[in-house]
Amino acid sequence: MSVEDILAAESELTHLLGGQQAVVLSTRIRLARNLEGLPFPGWAKAPHRKEISDRCVTVLEGLPKFRRGHVVRMGELGDRDRAVLVERHLVSKELAAGKLGAAVISRDQTCSVMVNEEDHLRIQVVKAGWHLRGTWHIAEQLDDALGGVLKLAFSDRLGYLTACPTNVGTGLRASAMVHLPGLCLAGHMDKVTRALNQDGLAVRGWLGEGTEAAGNVFQISNQQTLGLSEDAILRHLGGWIKHVVEQEWNARRKLAQEEGEKFVDRLARSLGVLRSARLLTSSEAMNMLSHLRLACDMGCLPEESRHLVDRLMIEGQPAHVQARAGQELDSDGRDRRRAAVVREALKDFPEVVPPSA
Amino acid sequence: MSQPIQCSLCEEAATVHLSQVVHGKVRKVHLCEACAQKGGATDPAVFQLADALAAPTPAPTLTCPQCGFTDLDFRKRGRLGCPSCWETFGEALGGLLLKVQHEPAHVGRAPAGVVPVAQLRRRLDAARLEMAAAVAGEDFEAAARLRDEIAALERQLAS
Repeated sequence: MSVEDILAAESELTHLLGGQQAVVLSTRIRLARNLEGLPFPGWAKAPHRKEISDRCVTVLEGLPKFRRGHVVRMGELGDRDRAVLVERHLVSKELAAGKLGAAVISRDQTCSVMVNEEDHLRIQVVKAGWHLRGTWHIAEQLDDALGGVLKLAFSDRLGYLTACPTNVGTGLRASAMVHLPGLCLAGHMDKVTRALNQDGLAVRGWLGEGTEAAGNVFQISNQQTLGLSEDAILRHLGGWIKHVVEQEWNARRKLAQEEGEKFVDRLARSLGVLRSARLLTSSEAMNMLSHLRLACDMGCLPEESRHLVDRLMIEGQPAHVQARAGQELDSDGRDRRRAAVVREALKDFPEVVPPSA
Repeated sequence: MSQPIQCSLCEEAATVHLSQVVHGKVRKVHLCEACAQKGGATDPAVFQLADALAAPTPAPTLTCPQCGFTDLDFRKRGRLGCPSCWETFGEALGGLLLKVQHEPAHVGRAPAGVVPVAQLRRRLDAARLEMAAAVAGEDFEAAARLRDEIAALERQLAS
């Protein structure tokens, strides 16, 4: 198995196996778990980390969910392959930075379990679109399956014990990846971020902590993991996401109405640039693809075209571009290659029309 | 002239000043230009980090018997050494948990086969109070539901 197989496969997010939606790109659940009696990866010596990795990977490989899946060991991968996995959100930057981490990934890439990240086990489940409960149930099943075989560190008073106090308790981080061009264009994003922050939710960029919100894509997640039940955490996040989606639609409708032709012109120009550019930087591509996604949501482009936009957002990232080219490329080379991929993908794309009423 | 306020994350002079209200408590963080630009200004985790860094430096007084991790290691890394550290440092971490978490007690799932006794006891106490209130308010439907819940909790605890 190699990262090439992961790139070639039809995956949940690139081929939207779970169906796609306006505004919410994907729903993600993460559970932090640790084995009893072993030091956390950040404090463990190499022999312990190897023991942890061997035990966890063996158990994970045996679960039905990971049948015909992938096992990737960071120490065996080159920089580019690790970056591809990060860009796909299959592993974190932290896991990719070390040599002793591993990940077991399901065939459709909805489930991935990182081993030896900050905690022994990080269970992740992702679905395209907004499916909070469905995503949660898959994570819950995986958690039960693991807990049935491995003795997990758990305290009656503090719940699941984790390396960092910000994860203890449920170990649950639930998040939605949301596309908010309306709120960004209207200049409301700071206000929204503040409101979410003040109610215990974090707002981050496309690739998580410390990344920029390229393409108006944000990740919204719960902060607190202790003292709230999983159900309460999901309800809290769910309520806010519903509200943010409503606000986003209000902002879009208002913009389309007030700007009229200017609104359509902006979207049409982005399509024009993407179809003709010879050099495209990653952030320029993301921002213009964001306009195309907005056009699909607003009826300015056929809704069926949206899946192609979502795929280009993932495949236009630097490591993906290089992996597809099969070679290391310098910055200009990547921009040239990205432009070529996007031009080819959009050559039969329909024209942008005024929004449907 | 007054001294410039120091950045909560590094040693530079702070130019960005943030306040956050959580459960009615106001917390302040001061950031320099560089730390604010790194995304700190929009990330609530900055408050947690600043709180942990601002705590007074104690001598290493606690060592985990299981893995040799000390309280000074925690101050340096912000992460614990092993699951047993939670027992060793539990009390010392209580204050931090109150700041970064909702409540300092778990109310969620447990691994298969584990009965979360403390959690069930807390729920039992709460349910008894709720039932008394329901009876006083003549909400007998709710009282009956709570009575069943209390009976179920008592059965679980007895096993």
